[in-house]
Amino acid sequence: MTKCILDMPSYTYAVKGQRLLRQRGYPCTIKRRSKDSANGCGYSLYVGDRCGKAAEILDSYSVPYTIRRDGADDDDKL
Amino acid sequence: MMINFDNAATTFPKPLRVRRAAADAVMNYGGNAGRGGHQLAMRTSEAYYNARETAAVFFGAEHENTVFTLNCTYALNMAIHGVMAQGGHMIISSMEHNSAARPAVALAMKKQITLSVAEVFPDNERTVESFRRLIRSETRAIVCTLASNVTGQLLPYREIGELCRQHDICFIADGAQACGIYDIKLSDGINILCTAGHKGLYGLTGTGLLITDGVYPIAPIIQGGTGSGSLSLFQPSLLPDSLESGTPNIIGAVTVGEGIRFINSQGTDNIRAHEERLCASFITGLKTIDGVTVYRDEGAEYAPIVSFNIEGVPSEEAAAFLSEKGFCLRAGYHCAALAHASLGIRNGTVRFAPSVFNTEAETAKLVYYVKILKNLQNS
Repeated sequence: MTKCILDMPSYTYAVKGQRLLRQRGYPCTIKRRSKDSANGCGYSLYVGDRCGKAAEILDSYSVPYTIRRDGADDDDKL
Repeated sequence: MMINFDNAATTFPKPLRVRRAAADAVMNYGGNAGRGGHQLAMRTSEAYYNARETAAVFFGAEHENTVFTLNCTYALNMAIHGVMAQGGHMIISSMEHNSAARPAVALAMKKQITLSVAEVFPDNERTVESFRRLIRSETRAIVCTLASNVTGQLLPYREIGELCRQHDICFIADGAQACGIYDIKLSDGINILCTAGHKGLYGLTGTGLLITDGVYPIAPIIQGGTGSGSLSLFQPSLLPDSLESGTPNIIGAVTVGEGIRFINSQGTDNIRAHEERLCASFITGLKTIDGVTVYRDEGAEYAPIVSFNIEGVPSEEAAAFLSEKGFCLRAGYHCAALAHASLGIRNGTVRFAPSVFNTEAETAKLVYYVKILKNLQNS
């Protein structure tokens, strides 16, 4: 169940972020951004937990992201 | 029979696993990387990223700072134009390939930068000193090959890197003849490493890498679609997208990744030792032939490349004769005008450049035919 969606600035950062999170026990998947954003198309990380810890991990590796949703539990609505 | 000793131009044959990776990529990675959400695009994107990751780890870089290019020339042009976009003074070595020398001279001719050429000597301390003496307050970058593509001479890149660090100068290194043979890392003091993917890294032609530590921003010389920030009319500033506009050579990149995995399986030390043994055998053989000049100096260190000439035989004629006998060797000026001027070579050289796949027997056979050529010339 997705609780956190992080919009990533590029596919490269999406994979880098995904690998960092997975290595630390946070399962997540990369999906094409499901909603239009101000910047246009891109990729998002769908994380099964709230964004707090994931964001902390990404921050510590200087991986840029934008929190799109924190706390939702149904990615179909996102 | 065809024996390739022109591996400094591009390695051939490619390792079996690289050829298989190329075929697999053609079969399975037919999407576009970083530009779609369907399964073919995602599969292709992941394969492209895996290659990037492999290269990043190999050179001690961050994944996002590892940029695929079309070749080393593109990487050097991007680095030189990108770092010198605001002008300033740049120093290049006297052994540079035209891929570094021409963009530098072009910028200097347009008066966008000032340019100095540091003489390279067999003695490393003298070489470092010649760079040091040219540094000014406005010097922004030093561009230096790690190994000459003409003679194979290794330049003291760690010392030059340290010199750059001391003076806050960007060190742009041309690793075309060194990567895959030496364990080159950004931590050697290199800010931007440019290299070919199709030479010592054993990937397909049409591949290169620009690897940066991110300290010196590189203004893009090509703008376009990157698959990111699509609604903006401005080029994204984040790497690698800022320097990877347009559909990349995905199949090529996959082979570079596999080529690096091949190198890792062999070990750079073992590859270099093998190629150095062949060079030593070749030089020993040439020494038994009167009237052969080998372009190596006492005291200098060399990558596994041997340039030579046969007295009275133009280099192109020598290469043509050897080609008739089944040997592929490059002759002429090797796209290195500065190096030939610096070395005082007026008519080019014949270049022997083995790969991990060449053998002692092939080398001995080549020496035999050089001897035949010399005897024909004498008769």
